[in-house]
Amino acid sequence: MNERIINELIESFGKLFMAGIKVSIPLTITSFSTGLVIAFIVALMQIAKVPVMRYLVRVYVWIIRCSPMIVQLFIVYFGLPSIGIKFSSFVSAWIVMSLSIGAYCSETVRAAIESVPVGQLEACYCDGLTFWQAMIHVVVPQALRTAFPPLSNSVIGLVKDTSLAYNVALVEVLATAQRIASRTYDYFWLYIEAGVIYLIFCSVLTVIQRKAEAAIERRR
Amino acid sequence: MLSLRNVYKKFGSNVVLNNVSLDVNQGDVVAILGPSGSGKTTLLRCAGYLTKADSGTLVMDDKEYDMRRISSKDLREYRKKVGFVFQNFNLYGNKTALGNVTLGLTVAQKMPKDEAEKIGRELLETVGLADRMDYYPSKLSGGQQQRVAIARALATNPEVVFFDEPTSALDPELTGEVLNVIKQLADEGRTMIVVTHEMEFARKVATRVVFMENAEIVEQNTAKEFFENPREERTKEFIYKSLTWASTEDKAKEEQAD
Repeated sequence: MNERIINELIESFGKLFMAGIKVSIPLTITSFSTGLVIAFIVALMQIAKVPVMRYLVRVYVWIIRCSPMIVQLFIVYFGLPSIGIKFSSFVSAWIVMSLSIGAYCSETVRAAIESVPVGQLEACYCDGLTFWQAMIHVVVPQALRTAFPPLSNSVIGLVKDTSLAYNVALVEVLATAQRIASRTYDYFWLYIEAGVIYLIFCSVLTVIQRKAEAAIERRR
Repeated sequence: MLSLRNVYKKFGSNVVLNNVSLDVNQGDVVAILGPSGSGKTTLLRCAGYLTKADSGTLVMDDKEYDMRRISSKDLREYRKKVGFVFQNFNLYGNKTALGNVTLGLTVAQKMPKDEAEKIGRELLETVGLADRMDYYPSKLSGGQQQRVAIARALATNPEVVFFDEPTSALDPELTGEVLNVIKQLADEGRTMIVVTHEMEFARKVATRVVFMENAEIVEQNTAKEFFENPREERTKEFIYKSLTWASTEDKAKEEQAD
């Protein structure tokens, strides 16, 4: 490792980091929040035994969980345009990753909702609340606490999975590293640097997770 | 004021309520006694619409309700008039003591928050928890939790309060504080139905006692008559065994000695 490489790495670090801040992190945040909403809807459809929908959501979970995300990305980004539906790289990745989080987290959320004692739901009924009011005010807030550690895990997994969007021409951390390296041929060092960027982001998230868990624990 | 008529309920092939009828008048404190599995709790849960009966009619303030099904409008109206206290308290884990009492008022009754909190504070004071209003359930003892649950059941100022074995999940030491609150309510003239195993409580606080066994009401009478002059053989046996554990043990020993 010579001085040229060191200078190059220092220079590229900022670019990779900014690609993370501008692309990977926004993709993580948007996909995860959309996915979480989907996960709750899927879980509640099953718990409330909504006719027809409870079976349809199961088909959705089955398809998403049993096919590779990269294939889904290719279908949305390269496939859909042939039938006239065109999404940008970012939107394609957002759609696929939201659906993926929705499917994977729905089981986590369902288990967490079911871990809230059914007696509390009955108490809500006696208080005059409807099923959905009980869910919003009593059950879901407690379910979120239980689901917090596994959901944090999913967020960290998602940060790393955003690198898959490289394949649909999204210029995120890995693509940025790739572009610089194709000019300088320092693939080894630049890919390591890309890995370090992910390491930094995920470490920060891990610290946030610990702090948040402690805060939740204080409130019960 | 509240009548249950011909309540019938089966779980699978097991009949748990066989045409049970019960009338409760204003100011009554009805204690429902009986061995486990006799249908006491199911009767109470059916009356609270937590379990749907297979058939039966409920009359409340001259209004008839089908116990198999009820419109959500009727149910909302009915639930305002009754309170329910559970064996396991079932407090909302994400709400403070005060939040537990006010949730029904703010969400279901659409009452402004400060008004609901005023009612909540008063009720928590009556159950002796003025200094625990901001505590979460996990920081309260069983007896305190059950008292919060009683305050919650009283939030809408219901006409009848149902208690499903309110002290069965408590340490023996803590049952007193809960029974005292229930007695205090009885003294204020509140109408209550209490499923319980506490014989002393039934004797001292209840105005009427109902004895259930095998899905049926075996005997019902005023509390005084029930304990002093039980009519049915089975009731006599139940009272004897419940109140005189020590003497039955002595008797068993004597029999062995013979």
